[in-house]
Amino acid sequence: MSFVQIRHISSQINRKTVSIVGSGPSGFYTAYHLLKKSPIPLNVTIWEKLPVPFGLSRYGVAPDHPEVKNCEETFTTCAEEFSSPTNQKHKFSFVGGITIGKEILLKELLDNQDAVILSYGCTGDRKLNIPGELGTKGVFSSREFVNWYNGHPDFAKDKRFTDFDWSKVSKVGIIGNGNVALDITRVLISNQIDEIWENTDISSLALNLLRRAPVKDVKLIARRDFVHSKFTNKELRELWELEKYGIRGRIDPKFFQKEMFDPSKYDRAFNRRVEMCSEYLKPFNERSKKNYKKAPPPSSGYDKFWELDYLKTPLKINKDDFGAINSLSLCNNQLNEDNSLQPLKDVNNIMTYKVDLLITSLGYAGVPMPEFSKLSIGFDKDHIANKQGRVLTSSGEIFPHLYASGWIRKGSQGVIASTMQDAFEVGDRVIQDLVVSGALSLENSIDLSNIKHTTWKDWERINKNELLRGKKEHKTRSKFLTFEELWNGVEGI
Amino acid sequence: MLKIVTRAGHTARISNIAAHLLRTSPSLLTRTTTTTRFLPFSTSSFLNHGHLKKPKPGEELKITFILKDGSQKTYEVCEGETILDIAQGHNLDMEGACGGSCACSTCHVIVDPDYYDALPEPEDDENDMLDLAYGLTETSRLGCQIKMSKDIDGIRVALPQMTRNVNNNDFS
Repeated sequence: MSFVQIRHISSQINRKTVSIVGSGPSGFYTAYHLLKKSPIPLNVTIWEKLPVPFGLSRYGVAPDHPEVKNCEETFTTCAEEFSSPTNQKHKFSFVGGITIGKEILLKELLDNQDAVILSYGCTGDRKLNIPGELGTKGVFSSREFVNWYNGHPDFAKDKRFTDFDWSKVSKVGIIGNGNVALDITRVLISNQIDEIWENTDISSLALNLLRRAPVKDVKLIARRDFVHSKFTNKELRELWELEKYGIRGRIDPKFFQKEMFDPSKYDRAFNRRVEMCSEYLKPFNERSKKNYKKAPPPSSGYDKFWELDYLKTPLKINKDDFGAINSLSLCNNQLNEDNSLQPLKDVNNIMTYKVDLLITSLGYAGVPMPEFSKLSIGFDKDHIANKQGRVLTSSGEIFPHLYASGWIRKGSQGVIASTMQDAFEVGDRVIQDLVVSGALSLENSIDLSNIKHTTWKDWERINKNELLRGKKEHKTRSKFLTFEELWNGVEGI
Repeated sequence: MLKIVTRAGHTARISNIAAHLLRTSPSLLTRTTTTTRFLPFSTSSFLNHGHLKKPKPGEELKITFILKDGSQKTYEVCEGETILDIAQGHNLDMEGACGGSCACSTCHVIVDPDYYDALPEPEDDENDMLDLAYGLTETSRLGCQIKMSKDIDGIRVALPQMTRNVNNNDFS
């Protein structure tokens, strides 16, 4: 283990100091933009609470979407270039394993740095707030479930997952209609198709448990209707295309028929979604376009199903004598013309779905840092109060030198590319302010000599070791699954 | 003349700028503008991440980029290079967040209608990403999916003013 002190000894170049909290796509794209665009020399430090970088790219993106993680290559090139002593203009440091607000206070960063950017993402779960949501075996939030199969050290060996009896999971309910809900559907319905998963960086521990589940039916349950589904066409198409494995998608005609949607009233993306669904719902040989006939279902037919289910409100999670989920009570919703939603709770509108596993995928919630109230930093419901990235105090004034980018700035919406654009825009404002502000001092430093942490070099070793382990297991990467393994991974396997 | 596909009514203005640029500067094919980067200390290989081959004499293909500030740049390139490779090799402001694997829309370009039909039709996966592109037009494509060929020698593409990926939910 290396304990490198990062006290920045001032050289001839007077660099302004910038600290970024969080090393996911928003934090790293902000750093990248600053280092690429700033006309004045900068000393940029990214702080990450885990010993390893990349946040949701590493622990959120589905294992079968490795191309989405390619942004990590840009971050790596950026880190290597500016960590190198030969680069005379800017300087970059990564500090992992340190939580801002714990080992080092946000106040300390604010006192020491010329600018601080909060890019720590959305770390909480939105809840259903219904009976049985907490404490029932087999009920997980999407954040927990995704972190678990992606090998996040907080969840990879969590007993709630490892002690759960996966061999009884045949029917699954997923509440929510975003891309995360589709990712989870894909993982669960194709859990036994090894060619999809075995070479990916999915946690082997999770995959082995998931494989035991004889999943037959996955219902994606939404409060609103087909028009309001939030997932994107790419992810939906991936689900339809699983039909070559005998996995069939369904939508009840009362929720979807092509004729319900007048193309002139909708945008291109939605009209393409309507065409996709109406074509895929037809029997294979009756489809009109060749792109919906890429690979036929197996001759044995379909034996697993996923279904888009609409206009329902979950009311109660029911459990068996052992505390495991066995069903979900719901009611129908009425969607009014003004777009308001009305749950219909009379006896004719209440139903029960038998489910063996329930994932709530209602979106990630932004959480304020513990020091916010003391420092009078504003927080609006699920994101930091800000004006174009400049953080506001609780009374609405600009908080000097403090910025926010990514999901914690705007809430948990959008793909990596939108986060990137947001990071660039906030980065431009930081540069704008830094160019005109006087430097705080020449010797801004935070002494890390007595605090255990990882550096970029340490991450390079962990990375190398994970790739090496992966090679032995015929996977792209085999992640270290606990904090202990990660810290030890700096040294060797 | 470019038709603008209006997505939720928010994108027309930005698309118009690029469309206007393509319309109003047809004779500027050979004009190149140089922009200077302010790098007082050292030049950085980090900014130069493309790996472009030099075309053999007589086999050069031309491409013109219309940049966000309205300036134009023309390059001579090899057959087979993608527009994303070319833009990155010349330090133009085009990201390829997914590394050119058609999994994001950060390399969205607006193709001159005169060249659009000469391109092979976009596949579903490209269209799925274009659905999310900001400032989408009827001649929008992803730079990573267009390879230079003799058929499109002289192609002109505009970089949209913004590359932010949006979906309907961003506006709700």
